[in-house]
Amino acid sequence: MSVMAKPLAHAHGHEEHDHEAELRKEHLLLDPKPRGEMNAMVMDMMGGTTWKFWVVAAIMGALVLWGLVYSWGIMIAQGLGLAGVNQPVYWGLFLVHTVFWIGISHAGTFVSALLRVFKAEFRRPFTRAAELMTTFSLAQAAVMIFAHMGRVWLAYWMFPLPNQRQLWPNFHSPLMWDFLAINTYLLSSTMYLFLPLIPDLAMARDRSTGWRRKLYSILALGWRGTEGEWTHLRHALNIFAFAILPIMFSVHTIVSWDFAVAMRPGWSSTIFGPYFVVGAIHSGVAAVGMVLVAVRAFIKNMDYFIRPEHFDALGKLMLIISMAWAYFFFNDFMVQWYGGDRWTDELLHFHEAGKWGWIWFLMLICNIAVPWLTLWNKTIRRTPWAMFIIGLLINVGMWAERFIIVPVSLAINRMPFRWGDYEPGVEVPIFIGSVAFFILLYMLASRILPLVPVWEVQEGQMAHSIRKYGKEPVVTVSDLE
Amino acid sequence: MTEKNMLLALFQEIDPAAQAVDKLRAMGIENEHVNVISGTPITEAMLGRPHQWTNVPRLAMGGAVGGLIVGIFFAFGTPALYPVYVGGQPLYPVPPSIVVLFELTMLGIMLSTFLGVFLDSRFPSYSPKVYVPEISDGYIALLIDCAPEQEEEVKKAMTEVGAESVKTAEVQPL
Repeated sequence: MSVMAKPLAHAHGHEEHDHEAELRKEHLLLDPKPRGEMNAMVMDMMGGTTWKFWVVAAIMGALVLWGLVYSWGIMIAQGLGLAGVNQPVYWGLFLVHTVFWIGISHAGTFVSALLRVFKAEFRRPFTRAAELMTTFSLAQAAVMIFAHMGRVWLAYWMFPLPNQRQLWPNFHSPLMWDFLAINTYLLSSTMYLFLPLIPDLAMARDRSTGWRRKLYSILALGWRGTEGEWTHLRHALNIFAFAILPIMFSVHTIVSWDFAVAMRPGWSSTIFGPYFVVGAIHSGVAAVGMVLVAVRAFIKNMDYFIRPEHFDALGKLMLIISMAWAYFFFNDFMVQWYGGDRWTDELLHFHEAGKWGWIWFLMLICNIAVPWLTLWNKTIRRTPWAMFIIGLLINVGMWAERFIIVPVSLAINRMPFRWGDYEPGVEVPIFIGSVAFFILLYMLASRILPLVPVWEVQEGQMAHSIRKYGKEPVVTVSDLE
Repeated sequence: MTEKNMLLALFQEIDPAAQAVDKLRAMGIENEHVNVISGTPITEAMLGRPHQWTNVPRLAMGGAVGGLIVGIFFAFGTPALYPVYVGGQPLYPVPPSIVVLFELTMLGIMLSTFLGVFLDSRFPSYSPKVYVPEISDGYIALLIDCAPEQEEEVKKAMTEVGAESVKTAEVQPL
């Protein structure tokens, strides 16, 4: 074994240099590339499609055809009897999946708007990936609501229009709250996705030919980047970031009220609003982690933009949110358990020891034990495949939570002669179809839309620098916004 | 400011662009005869330019009021048009109406903010305009509207402060 001697006089200088190099390697915003190079990388991401991509896209397309076209079509033709819902479990997997997809949609806004408001700089490279998730998952939530309706061709009865007798829909009904809240959120999040996309679409326009150039020219709306355009955009994004947060909270609160305003054991709870919101953020942030691992693994050049620092930050968020979820779960459970209502006791016992008890324990393991036992560890947080598995398990746990709340809780009510069970039917292929549709939409969007907001990354890189504090190189951030 | 017979000076860094703005002002070229185009947001203060006016916040407030009015119509107007009393429930219950008022007010804010960007920026606008693709590569362009007899002097001044190129601006399709 040989020992290499270092010249003492230069040792400190080398250490400082190494530390600075480590900081640059660690933080995207300290590791700038020329804008032209970053633009080329992002254009390369959209253009470089391999045959494997189209094979996966074809499989997803086939699943969409099977789940959403064939299975749903059969249900429309033959009736809602093909689904497992019946008295007393009249809300089944369709509503579980509605809540599930709306929950996933919360992450885009949470990551993008809340972190923008608090100027959390690590958000910059993946805000768009998260916002896309919001829009596409809300579309899946809408699919599930339409499926749940059964007679989907009568969906227009929900529109704010009077019927032939000039009778308007009842806007004081929780169903109309849902309609208004989900549509407000869908429209707002789509606009919030599009506005910061305009400068990147203009960038893509400047570097494309053929049909892509035509498409980007139309979508970029004639953007040049004048002082006025940037000023209007900046103000609009600030308004959106602040205003979309209460909308996000309201959507899942209103979804929770669908249950909480009913006088049923297990549902009539005053903390269902925040409990649902925290649950939504729990599943959503975990899903963002999964999407980031996937895009980093499968999309060219993404490893420059998405680094272990981002998984580390998301892992900390997931851990904190898991603790908040555990707090709300226990709060909800404790009050119901302590209340001593006979039917609530029956239901709580059924949750734990009934036919679906294993799902109740799965919920606790995936939502609490898995994140608490893993995410305290920095190495795990910085390992993409581990974060993917943890994110997946959290989403399984959150799915289990919704399953417990909806069909399992409906099985037990205040009239024992009306107790029943639930066996899913056509809901399963329709859900598989909606998952495939989500993945397919995301895959196709990644070929057309710049997944990385290049201008936001460059703005962040302009704001970040390393300065010496004494002899220590430290990261400094200037407020350029 | 029309975009005919203009000079376009391209800068890679912000400091020379800021110096160029000062220099143009010293040469008697008013702020309204200079426009800045950039690939990243650069605030007016960074270049020492006058404050940019935007109507977006006012439009957002207007949208909030409009949304609230639609919400009031939905929550209180539609039951009045065709009163249906159900189970002794009030015709105009306040707590559920708050949900409707909130959602529609927020929707009004969002829609008007979005449309505000379109109105203020005059989007969509597909007519050819002065532009160079280098701008989206991070360059800063100054569009200078100066008298023909001043052109040479401006070109020289811009080159002196560090412009990578100074040329007569040309419109191109966007």
